[in-house]
Amino acid sequence: MKGLQLGWALACMLLFAAAAAAQDDETARAERWKDLRQTLFGDRPVRDGAGKIALEAPERALDAALVPVAITVQNPKNVKALYLVIDDNPAPVAAHVTYGPAGDPESLKLRVRVNQYTNMRAIEETLQGELYESVRLVKAAGGCSAPAGDYDEANLADMGQMKLRPVGGPAPTEGFEAQLLIRHPNFNGMQMDPITRGYTPARFLKSIDVAYNGEKAFHLESDISLATDPAIAFRVKGPRKGKLAVDAADSANGVFKHIFDLAEQGS
Amino acid sequence: MAAARRLSMGLAGVLQCLPLCVFAALALAQAPEPQGFWTGAMQGETPPTLSGGEVIHTEALAEITARGGIILVDVDSSPRRPANLAATAIWKPLAHRNIKGSVWIPGAGAGDLDDAMNGFFRDRLMALTGGDLERPIAFYCHPRCWGSWNAAKRAIGFGYRNVYWYPDGVEGWQEAGHPLVAAQPEGPDQAER
Repeated sequence: MKGLQLGWALACMLLFAAAAAAQDDETARAERWKDLRQTLFGDRPVRDGAGKIALEAPERALDAALVPVAITVQNPKNVKALYLVIDDNPAPVAAHVTYGPAGDPESLKLRVRVNQYTNMRAIEETLQGELYESVRLVKAAGGCSAPAGDYDEANLADMGQMKLRPVGGPAPTEGFEAQLLIRHPNFNGMQMDPITRGYTPARFLKSIDVAYNGEKAFHLESDISLATDPAIAFRVKGPRKGKLAVDAADSANGVFKHIFDLAEQGS
Repeated sequence: MAAARRLSMGLAGVLQCLPLCVFAALALAQAPEPQGFWTGAMQGETPPTLSGGEVIHTEALAEITARGGIILVDVDSSPRRPANLAATAIWKPLAHRNIKGSVWIPGAGAGDLDDAMNGFFRDRLMALTGGDLERPIAFYCHPRCWGSWNAAKRAIGFGYRNVYWYPDGVEGWQEAGHPLVAAQPEGPDQAER
């Protein structure tokens, strides 16, 4: 009987400890975001974006070096920029996208690296300069030290090659969605080279500019949180017939340009 | 009747094959132990075992640490600031957190250690144990992290006889509701911050 009582007491203590630890995590996460928010936006408030912006990401990702993320915006006409922030990554701003007249912020899909269990947030900046966010806890760890696919430092011959894939059904006249694939290791400097046993030097895409028929669609700034072989799905305004120009630059002064003739591709 | 017999035979067949199926599933899900240290990618499928050491999970580790007398060594790597990060980019590695009472030695779990790192690791373990090769030591980093497996294997090579490998890592500890505390790195592989 006494043993049972002791057992209950112990169980209660453990439960209490677990609740306290969870509380600690919550507090640490809130502190982290407070710090990041101040650095990114100063005193501007970042409000709950329920009904305005949505972030989709797996709750638990087995491959932390390749976590798919989708952002959708309810009122794209009123949005000028999007942020994807991975709170606990060492370089937390995974993407900052500013839109031009040919771009449509309605949806954006990326693949990112996640270093440890973290809050991830999609933030929209409205034309009036207000900020709204959608937050998710993502459980994945080790994305920074995971190898960059089949790349090694000596084999970068096809780096910068691009493909454009149509997404969705028949071409509407209002606009269309496309996925851009860029062959690039996006080395983050934290990956071990299995041959030399040293760290592979960082080399990552810093910016991607997309223009459609001569008009800016968007400008994306990123760094090491983008997964190897970046794949970015976005929406463009106008009929699916014309020239889509991509201009990407990496941290080693590499410049990669490609023009897709959409009518020619039959897409 | 015939149907019942078919059913029972079918069941027997399934039962017979079950251990094989389970074995096959395990074999698929987990890597075999390498001969020496693991020199491939540090993140990935790890083995279910460690020759010469013992695999320990959260509940048992919590019990042992509560009693005291076990040395905890975290070998998680330290974030390295990439060269040529944009001037406007935000670089803010999170303060490292691990199990209370741990010693954090980034890089001690790499496949190959240079002399400086290897010497530091050996001396540090010697100091922590007071040269007592029977002292229990547990190594960890993250789930699916080879670093702690390598570090534990290395300690076994140094002659320690009660080496534990905790493959659940800080995330396993955290998910079971145990607290993490801030930690400072030690040793020659402290990346710039």
